[in-house]
Amino acid sequence: MSRYLPHWLDDVHRTRYAEFQDFVRSNVEPFAADWEREQALPQMALLQIAATGYLGASLPREHGGRAWDIVTFGLLNEAFGRGSPSLTSVITVQAMAAMAILRWGTKEQKSTWLPRLSNGKLIAAFALTEPNAGSALHSLTTTYTRDSLGDYLRLNGVKRWITCAQIAGIFLVFGKLDERPIACIVPRDAPGLTIEPIRELMGFRAAGLATLTFRDVAVPLSNMVGKPGFGLSHVAPIGLHFGRISTACHALGMLRGCVEDSADHAARRKVGDQQVGQFGMIRTLLARMATDLHAATLLCLQACRSADDGATDAFEDALAAKYFTSRAAVRAASDAVQTRGAAGCHESSAASRYYTNAKITEIIEGTTQIHEELLGKMIMARSGMIPNPRRAGQ
Amino acid sequence: MTTYHFRSDADVKDTLRQFIIRSINLPELADDDDLFESGLVTSLFAIQLMTFIEKTYGIEVDSDDLDIDNFRSLNSASAFVLKKSTANAS
Repeated sequence: MSRYLPHWLDDVHRTRYAEFQDFVRSNVEPFAADWEREQALPQMALLQIAATGYLGASLPREHGGRAWDIVTFGLLNEAFGRGSPSLTSVITVQAMAAMAILRWGTKEQKSTWLPRLSNGKLIAAFALTEPNAGSALHSLTTTYTRDSLGDYLRLNGVKRWITCAQIAGIFLVFGKLDERPIACIVPRDAPGLTIEPIRELMGFRAAGLATLTFRDVAVPLSNMVGKPGFGLSHVAPIGLHFGRISTACHALGMLRGCVEDSADHAARRKVGDQQVGQFGMIRTLLARMATDLHAATLLCLQACRSADDGATDAFEDALAAKYFTSRAAVRAASDAVQTRGAAGCHESSAASRYYTNAKITEIIEGTTQIHEELLGKMIMARSGMIPNPRRAGQ
Repeated sequence: MTTYHFRSDADVKDTLRQFIIRSINLPELADDDDLFESGLVTSLFAIQLMTFIEKTYGIEVDSDDLDIDNFRSLNSASAFVLKKSTANAS
């Protein structure tokens, strides 16, 4: 991103971004391929990132966080996205759960959970997706029912494709109580919860995905975040908003990796007596990737700045940034492999890793098609294509 | 953050009406039109409206305020803003 950082970024942003890049170069990139091969993040990697405070990047100081703005959070995700998709996923889901609790949690929930999420002693996961309710969130079948004891709810259901579930200590679990969507914090050690790892993914292989099965899990009523009826309209959108910002910037890091890797190869590799970069067809690929990187950088930072400003357009800006950047990363990863040729098809090349991981950024936190639907609907609404409202009470 | 210290029901409704009409381009919006009737707004509109109210009036919507009747119409949203403003001022 550094070539394309906009002028309005201040020295603090630039200094922190350089710090993030240094950390990733030293502690992440040299090991990331091994983590993906082994399909697990080592404890040492989690301890290192916890020690930096990066897992509480945007949480307030009163909850043990670094209180960084969202622009800095975006730069953090970009730097990590260049190095490891799986470790970046920990940052993503930690923010999704923590920011939802920060926004809608009770004072007790915040004081109980946020300090431990900030210092990384606790990892959180965002348990929304179900086997039959991926993009169709209103089709959730996970249920909460009132326990006869009164102070508890009983949770039953299955959640699938839950990132970081293998290592998470708490889950923010979405379901319905009397047909009204709710979200509750469920500890990993709750009796009746089983966690089944999902392995052999094409990318994000060390991100600890799992299937969660809840059988009559007792959840204290005091663990409910927000109120019944607002789980999908207010709690989930906060988590998904930060998830989209994180994923957009994660994809941006991959996109930068594709440009840098391809340019480096084009400058160094010779075919016959010509450098690869002397071929017009390769320069075309580089121009396409780099221009996408430039555009995506501006979209991502705009989304971050809108979030910092509390702008009403922040949600649309995050959707646009994630939509554009994830697709651009997929195109760039394909072109990066093409630039490298056969060497780009080997697991040892960064290009091949970007190729298998970039596609996943088009799926998580809302598929490309869901983003098109939402963005298209927003544009339609502004164009007056939505039916007139009915009177309240009719 | 812009904070208006003196506000009337009419002023608040006018500001909210402009935001809503701009967001969903309605030709007109009556005070008691239900904003959340199916097909009228996107799934993100509820939280966009809440964000607008917070930023415009310098109030914080917390979990105790999560009641659809606080945001269902111009009438209810305006009443909510005035109630929260009064609570903040006292």
